[in-house]
Amino acid sequence: MKTLLRSRLVLGTAFVALLGGITYACSNFLDTPAQGTLDESALQTKTGVEGSLIAAYRMLDCNAFVGAWGCAASNWVFGDITSDDSYKGSEATDQPGATQVELYTWNTGQAGDYFDQKWATSYEGVVRANATLRLLRGVMASKPGEISPVDSAGIEGEALFLRAHYHFEAWRMWGKIPYYYEGDTDYKKENNMSPDSVAKLIIADLDRAIAALPLIPRNGEVGRVTQWTAKAYKGRVLVYTGQYAAALVVLNDVITNGPYGLETSFDHVWTGFQALKNGPETIFAYEASANDGEPSGWNANWGETLNFPHSGSPFGCCGFHQPSQNLVNAYAVDGATGLPKVFTDPPGWNARDSTWVASVSDTVDPRLDWTVGRDFVPYKDWGLHQSDWIRTPAYGGRYSPKKNAQENASGSQSQVGWNKAQLNSVHIHLFRYADLLLLKAEAEVEVGSIPIAQGIVNQIRARAGVTAQGCGGAYNATTQAALEAAYPGCVGDARLAVPINDASIQWATYKVSAYTTAWPDQATARLAVRTERRLELGMEGQRFFDLRRWGEAYATTDINNYLTREKTRRGYKVAQLPFASKNMFYPIPPTEIDLSKVGGQDRLHQNPGW
Amino acid sequence: MQKVYRALGITFLFLLAVCGTALAQGTQVSGTVSSATTGEKLWGVTVRVKGTQTQTVTDQQGRYALVAPADAVLTFAQIGYRGKEQPIGGQSTIDMALEQAPTMLQEVVVTGYTSQRRADITGAVTSVNLDPVERQTSASVLQRLDGRVPGVTVQSSGSPGSRSTVRIRGITSFHDNDPLYIIDGTPVQGDSYLNFLNPNDIGEIQVLKDASAASIYGSRAGNGVIIIETKKGRPGGRQARLDVRTGVASPVHGLDDILMQSSLDYFEVIKRSYMNANQGRVDSLGNPIPYTLDSLPPTVLRIYGDPRNPTVPAYTYVDPGAVTARDSFGRPTVNRLAYNYPNLLIMPGSAGTNWWKAVFSPAQFSDANLSVSGGGVDNSYNVSFSYLKQDGTGAFSQFQRGSLRINTAFNVGRLQIGENLTIARQQNYGGIDDGNLGEDNIVGKNILMQPVVPIYDIGGHFASGKFSGGGNNTNPLKFAWARRFDRNTWDKVLGSAFAGTEIVRNLAFKSRFSFNLDQGSFKGFTPTTWENSEPVKVTSLNQNEQRGTEWTLANTFNYTWVTPQHNLSVLVGHEASQKTYRRIDGSIAALVNEDPASRYIDDALGSATTKNVTSAGALDRLLSFFGKADYNYQQRFYVSGTIRRDGSSKFGPGHRWGTFPGFNVGWRLSRESFFPQDGFLSNVMLRFGWGMTGSQLIPGGRIRAKFGGGRNDTFYDIGATGNSIQPGYRQIALGNASLGWETDKSTNVGADLEFAQGRGNLTIDVYNRIAGATKGHGILFDPRLPATAGFADPSVQNVAKMQNKGFDFALAYSGTIGAGKVWSVSVNAGHYKNKILEIAENLTQFFGPTGTRIGTAVINQIGQPIGAFYGLQANGYFPDSADAASHDDALGPCAVPPCQTNAKVGRIRFVDQITVDTNGDGRPDIRDGLITSADRTIIGSPHPDLTAGLDLGFRTGSWDFSATVFGSFGGQIFDAQKDFYVFRDFSTNVVKDRLTNSFCLPADDGCTNPYNQNAKYPRLDQFDASSPVISSYYVESGTYVRLRTVQVGWQVPASLLRWIPSARIYLQAENLFTITGYEGLDPALANQAPTAASGDVRDQAMGIDVGMYPSNRTITIGISTTF
Repeated sequence: MKTLLRSRLVLGTAFVALLGGITYACSNFLDTPAQGTLDESALQTKTGVEGSLIAAYRMLDCNAFVGAWGCAASNWVFGDITSDDSYKGSEATDQPGATQVELYTWNTGQAGDYFDQKWATSYEGVVRANATLRLLRGVMASKPGEISPVDSAGIEGEALFLRAHYHFEAWRMWGKIPYYYEGDTDYKKENNMSPDSVAKLIIADLDRAIAALPLIPRNGEVGRVTQWTAKAYKGRVLVYTGQYAAALVVLNDVITNGPYGLETSFDHVWTGFQALKNGPETIFAYEASANDGEPSGWNANWGETLNFPHSGSPFGCCGFHQPSQNLVNAYAVDGATGLPKVFTDPPGWNARDSTWVASVSDTVDPRLDWTVGRDFVPYKDWGLHQSDWIRTPAYGGRYSPKKNAQENASGSQSQVGWNKAQLNSVHIHLFRYADLLLLKAEAEVEVGSIPIAQGIVNQIRARAGVTAQGCGGAYNATTQAALEAAYPGCVGDARLAVPINDASIQWATYKVSAYTTAWPDQATARLAVRTERRLELGMEGQRFFDLRRWGEAYATTDINNYLTREKTRRGYKVAQLPFASKNMFYPIPPTEIDLSKVGGQDRLHQNPGW
Repeated sequence: MQKVYRALGITFLFLLAVCGTALAQGTQVSGTVSSATTGEKLWGVTVRVKGTQTQTVTDQQGRYALVAPADAVLTFAQIGYRGKEQPIGGQSTIDMALEQAPTMLQEVVVTGYTSQRRADITGAVTSVNLDPVERQTSASVLQRLDGRVPGVTVQSSGSPGSRSTVRIRGITSFHDNDPLYIIDGTPVQGDSYLNFLNPNDIGEIQVLKDASAASIYGSRAGNGVIIIETKKGRPGGRQARLDVRTGVASPVHGLDDILMQSSLDYFEVIKRSYMNANQGRVDSLGNPIPYTLDSLPPTVLRIYGDPRNPTVPAYTYVDPGAVTARDSFGRPTVNRLAYNYPNLLIMPGSAGTNWWKAVFSPAQFSDANLSVSGGGVDNSYNVSFSYLKQDGTGAFSQFQRGSLRINTAFNVGRLQIGENLTIARQQNYGGIDDGNLGEDNIVGKNILMQPVVPIYDIGGHFASGKFSGGGNNTNPLKFAWARRFDRNTWDKVLGSAFAGTEIVRNLAFKSRFSFNLDQGSFKGFTPTTWENSEPVKVTSLNQNEQRGTEWTLANTFNYTWVTPQHNLSVLVGHEASQKTYRRIDGSIAALVNEDPASRYIDDALGSATTKNVTSAGALDRLLSFFGKADYNYQQRFYVSGTIRRDGSSKFGPGHRWGTFPGFNVGWRLSRESFFPQDGFLSNVMLRFGWGMTGSQLIPGGRIRAKFGGGRNDTFYDIGATGNSIQPGYRQIALGNASLGWETDKSTNVGADLEFAQGRGNLTIDVYNRIAGATKGHGILFDPRLPATAGFADPSVQNVAKMQNKGFDFALAYSGTIGAGKVWSVSVNAGHYKNKILEIAENLTQFFGPTGTRIGTAVINQIGQPIGAFYGLQANGYFPDSADAASHDDALGPCAVPPCQTNAKVGRIRFVDQITVDTNGDGRPDIRDGLITSADRTIIGSPHPDLTAGLDLGFRTGSWDFSATVFGSFGGQIFDAQKDFYVFRDFSTNVVKDRLTNSFCLPADDGCTNPYNQNAKYPRLDQFDASSPVISSYYVESGTYVRLRTVQVGWQVPASLLRWIPSARIYLQAENLFTITGYEGLDPALANQAPTAASGDVRDQAMGIDVGMYPSNRTITIGISTTF
């Protein structure tokens, strides 16, 4: 009996010990790989490096990780609604963060969220560019021959360019920013450099990119940057930093030897037609894609989703980014000279308070109707812009954005997404040739070569005078009937762009003439060049940065003049604070300052006044 | 209709009642059954007349009585004891002592792998009194625990089958604070519903509140442990029980009590908002332009017509294509024949739509349970079936559950084998996705539709606020209606098989294999909303299927040594478990046919290009060794020690293993010779416990960096094709190779007192818990990194530290008034104080998840509790324009006084906090003269100071009466709904007293009490963008007292029910009344459940009212029979 008991005891114990032993001794019982992910070694290949580079390009616009809307490629929040070009639009309480940005109440938490989106988007671009450089170096060292020297140089050049670009985006927002290289492991670097010093680093990266990049896009893929892109961009940064002589050297090189030129017709600049995209005028763009297999339309200009006419329109939503009365007034043309009233009538050009609706008695620059949607004027090929396209006229006025809208016939509209009519593959210009030419004109003015500047402005105006918005056709029978009822000349005429004096045009009188009289002095030249820049690049996210570039005094006067008048037009504008010194830079997002502290001490120092 | 159901239900009951067996006739026998070992009276022993169906069960004093033939034989049986037989032999009193079965411990209280006599427990363990738990009607047993267990809080909404947030003694982590559930030995973690479990199956619940009791569960016990044992069979005759009940639930409180119901009153709000907003509007010369009735925006006049004589509009929205003319106010003449859904919509006006009533109405519920249990000398069984159906009070919502439970045990020779098994299916639709409270549901903002908006358009389709100024909401009824075919289905098979034997005398071995199989599926439909201001123009369908498999193998040895002096029990064991999970999600948009039969993800049924599929999964393993020793000397001195060693696959090599010790000691003072034996106190036990527990509640795979990408994130059209993308990759998560255990320490001091001859007892515990107590073993947390580190999920680290201090107590007393009249009262209460001690290196605070339209109202700050409210301090309203001007930098620079952007008379005035340090001592000493985000401060806390439950009972004859009152005191609520119903964000409806209780100036329309600083709302002001910012204005007291249940029961006299031994009929009301100062919908607020990369972060969203599904007032009638 005792033996039996003992044997049972031994048996039972052995059984348990065995079970325990097996699981414990099998040390790999607790080794479970992460599920559904790649590990780092999977990327140590050419595919991995190229993929990392693709991801770096992708940060040019919003993506699923920064959905709204400070991430937009077009910079509409920070470049336009804080300037005199546009309002946030929509309704007072929609996107309160953007409202706070517009009203210059930049120290509210809601505005802070918007700044943080831009900060995060810019630095994620830097992070991805640096990851590409690190991976490239790793693969070149560990697997020689995996990547050809040509590709290696190209990848490096593209990544360096993108790193410079993303830093530039942050730099023109905040000035003194930390600059990150591929070897950095400390992501709490101090922003202890002046804005000018940061710009030098951007230029240094561009110089390295220029040295490494090919003359034509690698693999024939036109979304890739080339040596010419980098040179053009360097010119841009030099103008931004006031280094006009140096800028002219590189800009002249690009103009003389580079592949760029102006589009013949203005409507080819912002377009959804695949055949017209990435024409000679495109230097660098966010290459949006629609119907690319992504089921929600995230690649189809998500950053612009809100910037379409509202519910009565074929788009449906959301009435953001509405052009200001001030901007529309700026397109008024002096009937006698064909020059902008801004130039011919400085005190009086902004007097008009009434909405510019279709009227042949108004003489305007044809670019107005490529830039601004207004009532009873054909809206590309969608039919007449109607008053019920506007969400809240009492709040945001009666104009709609237009450049980012696709042409109905282009087929570039997304077939998927939350509101698919507001997603398209129109490529968003980050830098285009007309912009470059106007930067050169500025530089020429500053170095005293006024006639050259005048020549450039006339070149821009000549192109602007080629075509104007035509009847366009409409998107369905009802709207076609409305179009034909309003303009009988549009029966059987669905041309999107027509000569500016075409008989079919019954909604405006278009005129844009060259400056024939030589500009007498720098001040006149500046006024003409800056006015031209505004008309050409209206609603393209440049204006606020331009105003600031032209100096604090200039920006203060311009914005405050704008506000004085605009407050009488838009009630809510009363709440907008005046432009002050501190508005020369946006506040660094307080969240980032908090998150970057080391030992309780700030590593990111706030901009003056914030 | 509901009445018919109820009537049918009751008829059914009585029909069933006929099926009972007749009572036998004979002599009366009674007696007491006790334990042969300890002399303790045994409760629940089945006493049966051998060879018949006549049987009874002993009461808590071990007494029984039955009628039997004088020559019959009685059998006495109870699991854990050796069965006995005794011939009656003409005796009228038969006392019986049962010997403990050698391999079964006294199944008294299961406290983790083993069980203990209740009286011998020295840790902080609460045994839940199940009677009142059984009485409540919620689908989940967790919700029924609310207010029952001192130190345990439960939050849930009134949505059918809703989630419960159970917290034991505060909160110990920034994420995932759900306790560990042990259901018949099977661990279940990460389930906040427990809806698969039929509450009627529950036999006992122990809550292990402190680490000295819970450390036997080591790594997973950091949030406390709730042990649930289901009902087991007892040897003896078959006993069947049928419980059926049905009832009607209606919302405790409706938004129609709160919101404005008349369109014309609402017009008055709009009108005054504009008229009052005149200051600051200036003409080109800077002169103020006041709004007048004539300058109201045309969009307003177009709806309400003549502002001097506003009328309910004939139409709110008319497509321009149907407008034939407009009057001078812009109101249209309409060609109704042009209506063409969805291209040309025409919506009528409403004098006042009651949106609440449109969506919420009383709802029926019914619940039926049938159980059969019994057993022989060598077996026992309990089988139960249940079906529960709960309609939601919100339209088109329902929860239903069917479950089957089988518990069996067999003695096969010296081997005991058995199994516990639940098979359940739950299905629900509509209601509210518990993770998604807020405006995207039928309660949230959607219920804040303007009264002028009609429910239907002229064509009978749903209408909404498409007109300018109509808000951009979705019609809530449409929202529910369109989703009425959505289904969320969960299948569950959970249980264990076990085997045990006595190896040698006093040494038992037990092995248990547990399994937890889950299968879930969801299909959801998103409709088009052409009637909306921001229309959705494509339908879409999403579907997911998921499967979870968890197994646990536990082997234990248990040695017991019992002498009259010494009582020792030693347990050693080993456990291994694995959890796998996999899900697949699919979606497709632009369905060709919206019919439910066509809602499949198929190229032909929708837009093929929108088809999308993703999958995800997890694999985690855990390996453990543990031991426990309990010793007591003469039941005077107690000492108990536990140690557990756990290895987790979630941690890196070298950091995987953690050790979690615990001990407690007890002294039963009342057994000492010096203790007065006949005094007021009859039992006094003093207890002290200390222990460590752990947590590994993070997703697996976080020890290494992860890479990946997505078409919506890293892929790009580098070839500028316009319609294709190339793959891109990025780092998606940072890894931390030195990730290790989170270790929590807790100390507990307690006392158990029994007084007044055992009629009363008091248990009180005081505790101090520190989560993340030791260096390198901090709370698992992923502090956010600066954006310069990129989008990659930050690594999880052992960094944070949190403290919970508090006490809880339970006091009960029962007495009699004359013969047969028994009354009882019990109170339980708990208090905790949560405090964040550390967050991460260099991090003193971080914001909680953004759960509201106006941003995040929550900060987690060192020295403050988790989820504290954070914002500006409101200080009344600007009394006059002079005061406003001194605060205003909108129109001109304000030099010294606190300059508040957009300050205007009647708007909320904020406090300029002392924020500037001028003398360099590191402490701010002056104000900066500006109201900025730097002036934000802690403005409240959602944590109650005290939660308490009160149970009252009274029984006389065949009648019984009981009531439960629950109270929560000292907590606060951040009523984020004020952004809508006070400030009219997004043109929503407003509170009904907005016209009468707002700050106003004498010249304002309708102003009767000018300059009133006590007005509830700031001045109506169309352009007031400054008052709505996050501030203490949103914070209200969340204190409330609620009559949770009242029940009257009647034991049907045997004379009326001759065929069944027992039937009880009862009528119950839940949530009959609430006393609260909270003006929102319901102070018993359920959290939102936001998720972050680290998991569920709902404890950072406590007390934020973003539109909760209200609690229900439920009237139930039921019958309970045994036969």
